Amino acid sequence: MDPMFLAYSYFRRRKYQKCDEICSQLLEKNPYDQSAWALKTRALTGQVYVDEVDVDEEGIAEMVMDDNAIATVARPGTSLRKPGTGQGLPSQGVRPVTNSGRPVSGFVRPGTQSGRPGTMEQAIRTPRTAHTARPVTSASGRFVRLGTASMLSTPDGPFINLARLNFSKYAARPNLAKALFEYIFHHENDVRNALELASLATEACQFKDWWWKVQLAKCYYRLGMFRESESQLKSAIKQQEMIDSFLYLGKVYVRLDQPLRAVDIYKQGLEKFPGETTLLTGIARIHEGLNEMDDAVKFYKDVLHFDNMHVEAIACIATHHFYTDQPEVALKFYRRLLQMGVYNTELFNNLGLCCFYAQQYDMTLTCFERALSLADDTTSGDVWFNIGHVALGIGDVNLAYQCFRMSLASNNDHAEAYNNLGVLELRRGHIEEARAFFQASFVLAPHMYEPHYNFAALADQLGDLQSSYNAAKRAVDAYEGHVDSKELIQQLKQHFTLL
Amino acid sequence: MSSEIKEVLPKQGVLYQEDMPTVVLCKPKLLPLKSVTLEKMEKMQKDAQDLVKKQEMEEKTIGHSNLPSFS
Repeated sequence: MDPMFLAYSYFRRRKYQKCDEICSQLLEKNPYDQSAWALKTRALTGQVYVDEVDVDEEGIAEMVMDDNAIATVARPGTSLRKPGTGQGLPSQGVRPVTNSGRPVSGFVRPGTQSGRPGTMEQAIRTPRTAHTARPVTSASGRFVRLGTASMLSTPDGPFINLARLNFSKYAARPNLAKALFEYIFHHENDVRNALELASLATEACQFKDWWWKVQLAKCYYRLGMFRESESQLKSAIKQQEMIDSFLYLGKVYVRLDQPLRAVDIYKQGLEKFPGETTLLTGIARIHEGLNEMDDAVKFYKDVLHFDNMHVEAIACIATHHFYTDQPEVALKFYRRLLQMGVYNTELFNNLGLCCFYAQQYDMTLTCFERALSLADDTTSGDVWFNIGHVALGIGDVNLAYQCFRMSLASNNDHAEAYNNLGVLELRRGHIEEARAFFQASFVLAPHMYEPHYNFAALADQLGDLQSSYNAAKRAVDAYEGHVDSKELIQQLKQHFTLL
Repeated sequence: MSSEIKEVLPKQGVLYQEDMPTVVLCKPKLLPLKSVTLEKMEKMQKDAQDLVKKQEMEEKTIGHSNLPSFS
């Protein structure tokens, strides 16, 4: 068989490694074989390609020293940093929050794992726990690691030596330039050179190709030049309306902290492409980010209307139902995911919890067993933590104690498990241990109100009023609506005035 | 004798209702599912790390075998 044909066949079947090998052999025979060169470029890109719309890694520097946001003191409901009061949202007493003070989501994407911290202090503190390490800037983050990863697989140096490439020569040849650009952008991860090539190429085609404008915008976005990115995207949309362009533009506005503008852009896109699920999901995500859960669920349901296999929509709706006291509805959604072939720890853990709270006890432990057998180091702590809750639910305190211990054994930074262990120790009458557990818990996770409040209540009983007052204050900071903490503060204030 | 059973309501005395504040447990945590992109990125990262480890191991073993043996 003709090796070129075989290589193309491998490429189409996404067997990039094999395609790459054949192309290398062809290029050894004839170094000027353009088709083999272009195919190899595309194969190498395909190996490390991730959807750029979905990728968004923010480092500490971008987050804290961000001067792109327009309003420093935004009105509530117009900024992603100060989300609104949240209608239709279960209180923090029911639905746990992430360290940015936002309710936990049903779905994680790159960049949404830990949310935006409010202050520098918080941002620096976050990476202390081993599982949420955040890069200092996005230039030192996952992008670079992926770039270097691609270098490793070629021990005899990079395939294309960018420093010796004559960009203007390639820019004038659209068939090669596009493959070369994607190679530089995704595989080499060299945004500056990619930008140079893209700007030469867009000139070479007299600014008539929307594709190059979108690529320019991607480069500007990576470099943090959001206004330039915006203008390129707008011009691209004027030329040719594409879903991708709308998505990128929405992303730019989210980064500029203008969520409502982003929603507008998505809606414009929806007028042109009615029922496009990616655009609908974009709107739903923004509503979720603004703590407008009712609206978010509405849009996720719209998504399911057009694509009933959409994992993100199903997972988010299920989480919403679970935390609004409808575990049996959540169970239906998660079961749907299982039927669709999602098979991982997270899903089985959620199924187990839903089964337990929907009183389907026969399935609960089986689900958790399955979850544990699939779990890796990062998730097994959470699974054991949830099994501990099941144990508490059936009144088996000893089992619960052991479960929380197991949770700590697999993840030593599990703040929730520390807190619950503290509660159990307190029930046994071990006051000193309980105190130590609460303290460990709130040092690890200052965004949770539970350990603060527990510590305050315990210190109050022990007569250590000053630390009780301080802890209660921190509890109210973490969760404004917590009645018990407020009452405790009231009592303590009375005490202090009597003194 | 009527078959109806009448409820008993205390007409006098004070009704006490005391709210006992107790310590709170952290709530059960649903785990978020991972998007395809995230899974792919994590897989690529893990593969790369494994590769680095493998290469380092190989270098070590080669380095050891090249050491002159003083016997």
